[in-house]
Amino acid sequence: MSELTAAELRRQVEMFLPKVLKPSRYLGSEWNAIKKDWDKTEVRMAFAFPDVYEVGMSHLGTKILYHLVNSFPEFLCERVFAPWVDMEEMLRQKKLPLYTLESFQPLQAFDVIGFTLQYEMSFTNILNMLDLAGIPLRCEERKEEDPWIIAGGPCAFNPEPLVGFVDFFLLGESEEQLPEVLRLIAEQKKHPLPRREFLLRVAQVQGVYVPDFYHVSYKPDGRIAEIKAEPGVPAVVEKAIVEDFDQAFFPTKPIVPYMEIVHDRMMLEVMRGCSRGCRFCQAGMIYRPVRERSTETLLKQTEELVRSTGYDEIALTSLSSGDYTCIQPTIHSIMEKHSCEGVGVSLPSLRVDSFDVDLAESIQKSRKSGLTFAPEAGSQRLRNVINKGVTEENLLAAVGAAFQKGWSNIKLYFMMGLPTETQEDIDGIADLAKKVANLGTQHGRRNVNVTVSTSIFVPKAHTPFQWEPQESHLSVKLKQNYLKEKLRDRRIKYNYHDMETSYMEAVFAKGDRRLAPLLEWAFKHGCRFDGWSEHFDQETWMEGFKELDIDPKFYANRAMDYDDILPWDHLESGVTKQFLVEEHHRALQEARTIDCRYDVCTGCGICPGRGVQIDLKG
Amino acid sequence: MRLRIAYTKKEDAKFIAHLDLTRVFERAIRRAGIRMVYTEGFNPRPKISFGFALAVGTEGEREYVDIDLERELELGDALGRIQEQLPSGIRLLEGQVLTTGAKPLMAVLNAASYRMRVPMALPIQEDRLQEGLQAWLGRDHVTFSRYSKKGPTDKDIRPWVKSLTGNIQGDEVVFELEVEMGNAGSVRPEEVLGSLRELENLPLDLDNLRVKRTGVHVSYQGRKSSPFELLAE
Repeated sequence: MSELTAAELRRQVEMFLPKVLKPSRYLGSEWNAIKKDWDKTEVRMAFAFPDVYEVGMSHLGTKILYHLVNSFPEFLCERVFAPWVDMEEMLRQKKLPLYTLESFQPLQAFDVIGFTLQYEMSFTNILNMLDLAGIPLRCEERKEEDPWIIAGGPCAFNPEPLVGFVDFFLLGESEEQLPEVLRLIAEQKKHPLPRREFLLRVAQVQGVYVPDFYHVSYKPDGRIAEIKAEPGVPAVVEKAIVEDFDQAFFPTKPIVPYMEIVHDRMMLEVMRGCSRGCRFCQAGMIYRPVRERSTETLLKQTEELVRSTGYDEIALTSLSSGDYTCIQPTIHSIMEKHSCEGVGVSLPSLRVDSFDVDLAESIQKSRKSGLTFAPEAGSQRLRNVINKGVTEENLLAAVGAAFQKGWSNIKLYFMMGLPTETQEDIDGIADLAKKVANLGTQHGRRNVNVTVSTSIFVPKAHTPFQWEPQESHLSVKLKQNYLKEKLRDRRIKYNYHDMETSYMEAVFAKGDRRLAPLLEWAFKHGCRFDGWSEHFDQETWMEGFKELDIDPKFYANRAMDYDDILPWDHLESGVTKQFLVEEHHRALQEARTIDCRYDVCTGCGICPGRGVQIDLKG
Repeated sequence: MRLRIAYTKKEDAKFIAHLDLTRVFERAIRRAGIRMVYTEGFNPRPKISFGFALAVGTEGEREYVDIDLERELELGDALGRIQEQLPSGIRLLEGQVLTTGAKPLMAVLNAASYRMRVPMALPIQEDRLQEGLQAWLGRDHVTFSRYSKKGPTDKDIRPWVKSLTGNIQGDEVVFELEVEMGNAGSVRPEEVLGSLRELENLPLDLDNLRVKRTGVHVSYQGRKSSPFELLAE
C-alpha cells in the first residue's frame, strides 16, 4: 500500500462517510477522546476491538487499557474497531487502509496492535482487520517495519487457534504487564534485536506467552503428545495479577460516544473475580481471587465520572455485584450525593440468592422495566452439578418479592446441554417458568410476562467442565423443540440460542493450533462477524472443515481424559488442574462446593505464593 | 427558564445523527453543572427540542435548539458554561430567553437555505448553467423518484423550491437553494441537483457534492426572519 497521509485518508473517508450506516462509529472526536502528538511519543499502540464500535465501546477493559496506556507521556494509544460490512466494502472499494479513530493513521503506522479477545466468534474479524490494514496475516510473512500483533483478554487463556497470526499473548490482568511490554518495545525501537531475541525478552514478562517457543507434537489419533517449551522461557505461563486492585488505575474521564452504545452509562468496577465457583464459568475461574474496591475509592471515582461524562446512569459492575460486601452503603452514598442531578444507579448482574428487592427498588429510577435472574438449570440436582448455589425457594422468594413490589416482567436464563442433563432437568425449566408465572398471577399482576432464554452449554478451558463434550446438535434441537411445546402459555415467551453458532464456539473454545488454517480459510471465504446471526455462515465453516480435513467433533464433542494433554496445559490461570479435576468429580457426585468467602478455603490454588489474596472491604 | 440557542454543527459534529444530538446537549449541560427540566411520565427525558433534522454529513451554519432549565441563570453565563462542554464543531452563536407561551421551533420554522458545492464532471459554460437553471425553475412540475425500502416513489419536488441560483467558481459550481419545509415534508438538496443534472443535462459530479445548510427560517408573506426576530416583535 502506498504511503497515504492521515489527512488525505481522512479527507477521502469523509467523502463517503454520510453514505455508511452510523458514521459516528468511525470518528475519534468523542468527548474525552485522547489526541496526542504523534511525533512526541515513543511507542504507538492501536487498541483493536474485533467487533463493532458500539460493542467495543461498552467494554470496561478496553476503557481501562486505553486510558492507562495514554496516562504514560511516552506512549500513545488509539482505538480501532471492526468496520461494519458496509464500511468494509467502502474501504476495499476505495483501496483505503483501516485506520485508528483518533488520528486517522493507518494501522500499519503503529508499533503494536493489541487485540482484545472477548469471544471466540470474533476471531475471523481479527484476520479481516489485519487484512484491511494491509498487514500480512502470518507472523512469518511480516517484516521488521510491520507492527507487533499482540492479544489479551479471556480467550487468551486458550489462544491456540490464533497461533501463527499473533506474535504474543498477554494472560491475565494487564494494568502492570502491558506498560512493561510497551517499555520493551520502546527499547527495541532504539536498539533493535533480532525478532527471536526480542521475543525471548518479552517472554520474561509475567503472563506473556510467545507461542513460537512452545512446540506441540501429536499422537496418531490426533491427541496432543507433548507441548515442549524451549529453554529460556517458562514451561508454564502464568497470568499476571495487579498488585493492589483498590488503588489500581481506573479511568474517570472515559470517552462519551455520540451514538448510543450497548452499555451507554458510567461504569464502576466494584470488584474483580468471583469465587461462587459455578463449574461452567470461565470468568469465575480465571479472574480469581476476589478483590473489592473500597466505598471510599468508588465514591471518589463516581464524583469524577459524573463531572467528566454527563451521563445520567452509573452501573456497579463486576461478575456478581450483589456479592460485593459494601453494596448497600455504596449505593446509598451515590444516591444521596447524585440523585438530585438526575443520576441513577444500575446493577447489571444480580444473583437470586443475594437479591434484595428493596435494593432493586431503591435504584429503579421510574418504570419497573424488568428483572433478570439466572437459575441456569431446571432442577436442584443439576444446579448442584454446576455448583450454582441457587435454590427454587431462593428464586421464588426473589420473584415473589418483585411481583409484590410491582414488577411484572421477569427474565429467566438457563443453559441447555449441561453435563449429566436428563429429561427431568428440561421439564424442570418448564416447571420453574410456570411456577414463576403463577406466582405473578397470584400476586394479582395482570400483565405477567416471563421470558425464558436457553443458551447452549459450551465447555471452556480452565473450568471444571473443560473435559466435557458439548451435547450433539440433534439432542439439543430435540430439547429446544420439546421446551417450545411445553412452554405454550400466553404469559411465557421462549427464546433459545442458535445451535450452529454455539457449536463453532465450542470448537474454538477447546481448539488447538491446527485450527489456525481453518480460521484463515473461513476468513478468505467471507466469514466475519460470526457472532452476529445475520452474518454467521454455517455452510462455509462446514465446507472449510471438509476442505482441510478437520473433524469439528474431535474438538466440540469429544470427552477428554484427565491425563490427556490439553491444548492450553502450558497456560495457567492460577487455579490448579488438580482443583479442576476435584471439582469435576464433585460435579458428577452432585456435591456442592461452598464459596470460600463464606466458608473454608477450597484450595483452588490462586492465593498462595502470588502476593495477592481475597480482599473484602465489608 | 426556557432558552433558545442558535449554534453551528460543523467539522466532525456534522456526522452526529439528529437523534444523538439530544444526548450530546443533555450530557454537555449536565457536565456544565446546570439542571434541566424533565418530562413527566414513565421515562423522564430532559426537555430539549430542535428544529428540522439536518442530514448526517451536512454542515449547519445556524441551527436552533430550545432547552428548559430548572433555574433562572444569567444568559451569557449559561451559554458560556454549556459551550465549554460541547464538541468543537458545535459553537453557540446566540441565545435568548423565551417568554412563556412562545411557540416551539417546529411550529415556527418553515424554510431552509443551503449552499452546495459540486465539481463539474465535464466543463460547463456559465451561460449554459444559467440556461439550465432558468429552464428547470420554469417547470411547473418536476417529478423525482425517491428510493426507499418499499421501492421508488414519485414525487413532485418543484413546489418546495423557493429559489435556486448557481455560478461557476473554478472547477466547481456553487448553488444557493432555498426550500420550504413543513410537516408535510420537503425536498432534499441532493434531489434538486439530481433532477437538475438529469432534466437539464448538466454534467455535475454529484458523488462529490458538499452540502451546507446556511440557515433555517421563519418565512411569512415573502419575508424571511429568524426565530429570534419573531420573539422581538
